[in-house]
Amino acid sequence: MSKRIEKRTVDMRIIGEWVEKDARVLDLGCGRGELLDYLLQTKQVSGVGVDLDFERIAACVRRGVTAYQGDMMAFLHAFPEKHFDRVICSRTVQELNRPAEVILEALRAGRALTVGFVNHGFWKNRLYALFQGRKLRNAVYTTEWHESRPANPLSIADFEAFCREKNIRVTRRVHLLGDWKTPCPIFPNLLAGYALYDLTK
Amino acid sequence: MIFNGLVTDDVDIPPAADSAPRHLAEGDVGLVQSRDFVHAHPFTLKNGQALSGFTLRYETYGTLNATRTNAVLICHALSGDHHCAGWHSPEDRKPGWWNNLIGPGKAVDTRRFYVVCANVLGGCQGSTGPSSIDPATGRPYGSSFPFVTIRDMVHAQKLLLDHLGIAELHAVIGGSMGGMMALLSAIEFPHLVRRVLAMATTARESAQAIAFNEVGRQAIMQDPAWNHGDYPRDGGPRVGLAIARMMAHITYVSDASMDRKFGRRKKDTAAADAYTLDPQFEVEGYLRHQAQSFINRFDANSYLYISRALDEFDLEQAYGSLEQAFAPVHAESLVVGFASDWLFPPEQNRAVALALLRSGKRASYAELATDLGHDSFLLQSPELYGLVRGFLERESVAFEFTI
Repeated sequence: MSKRIEKRTVDMRIIGEWVEKDARVLDLGCGRGELLDYLLQTKQVSGVGVDLDFERIAACVRRGVTAYQGDMMAFLHAFPEKHFDRVICSRTVQELNRPAEVILEALRAGRALTVGFVNHGFWKNRLYALFQGRKLRNAVYTTEWHESRPANPLSIADFEAFCREKNIRVTRRVHLLGDWKTPCPIFPNLLAGYALYDLTK
Repeated sequence: MIFNGLVTDDVDIPPAADSAPRHLAEGDVGLVQSRDFVHAHPFTLKNGQALSGFTLRYETYGTLNATRTNAVLICHALSGDHHCAGWHSPEDRKPGWWNNLIGPGKAVDTRRFYVVCANVLGGCQGSTGPSSIDPATGRPYGSSFPFVTIRDMVHAQKLLLDHLGIAELHAVIGGSMGGMMALLSAIEFPHLVRRVLAMATTARESAQAIAFNEVGRQAIMQDPAWNHGDYPRDGGPRVGLAIARMMAHITYVSDASMDRKFGRRKKDTAAADAYTLDPQFEVEGYLRHQAQSFINRFDANSYLYISRALDEFDLEQAYGSLEQAFAPVHAESLVVGFASDWLFPPEQNRAVALALLRSGKRASYAELATDLGHDSFLLQSPELYGLVRGFLERESVAFEFTI
């Protein structure tokens, strides 16, 4: 398995454990529907994804995952309080225009919000910035600055501070080392490559 | 003539380059025949009036499987009909209106599916409508024909399906008014419909869409030849119907697509610096051509009745809310909007998908970025074909991720 595919399965592994059977799940930034497909088959969830790209929506439809093409904020606004059992925001937060608004709105429309993100405070990323002095490029961020979408690089420390500031309750957190597999025992902001949070409000 | 990728209504399709018979082209259903379903029992419409019976003209392509579960119902739009694919004769100028979508190996694959399409109740292409003879008087119904709703069309269509022995539809597909019919079929007959594919549609028309329909109706009714709906078969308000069609046609396309197709180009016959009211611009000639061919095939009273049915369609009002309207639905739905559709804009298509999701139904929404306006659902687009095929055929991919 290539490094990228391997990294793709981290969300399935962890989020798959967190998602309750038969839950009503919303995946913000669902891509081609791999995660929802997995949850459909392993947890029999009723799931829907949101993405901006037509081809990705078509890929979801093809594999039997329902999906909505459009803006995730407008989508969330269309649903009553706690309509979804769980909203998932996997590797999406760093690309949002107004992350705080989306996270708070997701916590209104959903009972729980799961966020997974690459920790930019990871020591290798710090060294890359220190020695290369250039925009981060690695197995996840493969593109040059001029071919990337705008991103807000965030770290575990940033995210923890945000949750405290907004009174968001962290019910579960998983920090993984650079292999995105081994649990990170100490100093997560320095030693963890990937972080997953389960939130409620 | 191909209008920038869009096969427009009433426009000639050129013969194939090798001059092989077009109906024998690969992927074409070939020569097809219409049939009539006669319902010889009273049929009560939503407004309480009854017809002593009715006829629906329809076509089918492909073969119904042994379990009778592969039927796909196609619903047409305001000016459409039951002839949605294939050719009636090798001499036809054009095939059925959705020939690009339906056929062996096409997005709606007639090797897999048994495709059924009927002319709506109230129509004028062989189904019972205002131009049919009222058995009570021996004369055309005219405006004594009972008001028809989308619900009546859907219920009449259900009787046809019963007649064909179809108790389960693999899918019902429609654009514009056909999309309304598709949605309503899934609401009214939840156990009949497994998949709904509604394109360029709405749960209720906006004031603007009603306004355009009203201008069309006024053009017809202000034509003295309309005569309160009482006119001979070969006569009637031809001028009024032509104007209604010209205006409506503008609402089916977009500023950008008209500009690309015609711009300000003048006709060959246009005089330089002419101050004349004769058509000077190509777009004028095009609209007149559209109108001319439309009045030769469409009945003015049917136009009044069907456009009124479109205006009256309102799922929110009929069921209390969209969520309540969709509550009985069993089907999985796919709603497709088109970015440049300003008649039934993307927002109204999104509203349908969102309400289905709020009701806890399986629903998807996809949007194509074409600039061809409302008629984009007739577009020759590999993206659209792929989406439709994916929804109908659903790859059964074995799960590929091992943890």
